[in-house]
Amino acid sequence: MMRLALAMALKDVRLTLFRSAGLVQALLLGLLLVFMFSLSQKAGERVSAQTAATIFWLASSFCQVLVFNAVYAYEETAGQRLGLLLAPAPTAAVWLGKAMAGFVLVFLSQLVFLPATAVFLAQEPSHCLAEGLAMLVLADTGLAALGSLLGALAQGQAARESLLSLLVFPLLVPLLLSAISVFAAVFGDAAPDGVASWLGFAGAFDAIFLGAGLLLFRFIYTGEE
Amino acid sequence: MIALMHVAKTFGARLILRDCTAEFNEGTVSLLTGENGAGKSTLLRIIAGLSQPSSGHISFAPEDPSIGFLGHQTFLYPALTALENLAFWQKAHGLPADESTLLGMLEHVNLARHAHERAGVFSRGMAQRLSLARVLLQRPDVLLLDEPGTGLDQASQAMLEEEILKARKRGATIVCVSHNLERARALADCVWRIRDRRLELEEAGS
Repeated sequence: MMRLALAMALKDVRLTLFRSAGLVQALLLGLLLVFMFSLSQKAGERVSAQTAATIFWLASSFCQVLVFNAVYAYEETAGQRLGLLLAPAPTAAVWLGKAMAGFVLVFLSQLVFLPATAVFLAQEPSHCLAEGLAMLVLADTGLAALGSLLGALAQGQAARESLLSLLVFPLLVPLLLSAISVFAAVFGDAAPDGVASWLGFAGAFDAIFLGAGLLLFRFIYTGEE
Repeated sequence: MIALMHVAKTFGARLILRDCTAEFNEGTVSLLTGENGAGKSTLLRIIAGLSQPSSGHISFAPEDPSIGFLGHQTFLYPALTALENLAFWQKAHGLPADESTLLGMLEHVNLARHAHERAGVFSRGMAQRLSLARVLLQRPDVLLLDEPGTGLDQASQAMLEEEILKARKRGATIVCVSHNLERARALADCVWRIRDRRLELEEAGS
């Protein structure tokens, strides 16, 4: 299972970064979001840490939708999905491989969004750094697990972009809430109810959707037309 | 061996196949014929496990064979090179992907010169040859062919037929759908026809 998952992840990262414009659209959208919000402030005014954290995670979740639409579209051009289903590994290996690729691609995008947030929204991400890093990993894991599961569901549908957004965003609310709370602390606000509880909340979210991905993916990703 | 027992398939209210019972033996080539839309490709997909029968069941002996599928769809990633495509599919099947083996196979299907070119720029025939290389590397126990000669020139057709015979010789179970009946019949050990949604043995093997 790991062999197929790794091969899938490497292939998708290579295709997205070096063989297509896969990440450009996601980066542009995220950067545009950050920049547009920076225009809403008067000169010299500083956006609150909570608002900046919200904008950063909103950019990340838009990026997630675009990334998972792109990585699942690779299997829809010449029947590749059927080829994967014929492979001896469990179908969940595809979910895992796509989730790993999505994790890397969203994380790389955040390496651009974070400095952009710091510069355009005048933030200093210099507080609770260890907790911030832990939340980044936990939240990206959740984005990847859920994006990979629902990305498969949206494939083959005429309006897959809108369908994925409709499915993903309501489910993402708890994860985004915890990520925003911790990142508000990273940007200098006091985290309501403490940072640790939000990390635990994100961990629980991850456990649920990692389990759901492993168990449910084979019912979603089939050769039926 | 593949055994189909009373297999039926419906899509919604539409009946595609009914009461299909057949056995496809190891080391044989079975040709599957029928009119357009008769359900040949659907039956192949059911045998491959890509589609579930609405009723009836399929068994394999030995159980869980490796299945190779060569059809209209090439399973190739257009943005990957020929070599990268083969390496990916080898890894996906848990098989070794050393470059010398892959290059040897590309040489075999006359694509060695194009090893580092993207599959997206290949003609239909070249893509089909690359897809054939993908299947040959897997050495599957069951080989399912859905119009495998699509886009192939005479020389490539001959190579494909030679490979089908080699697979038969090593004991693979081969089921083939083809509209080129004259060529396909010459290879086939038995011919099955889908008529009125049922599978009938038209010509038994010796």
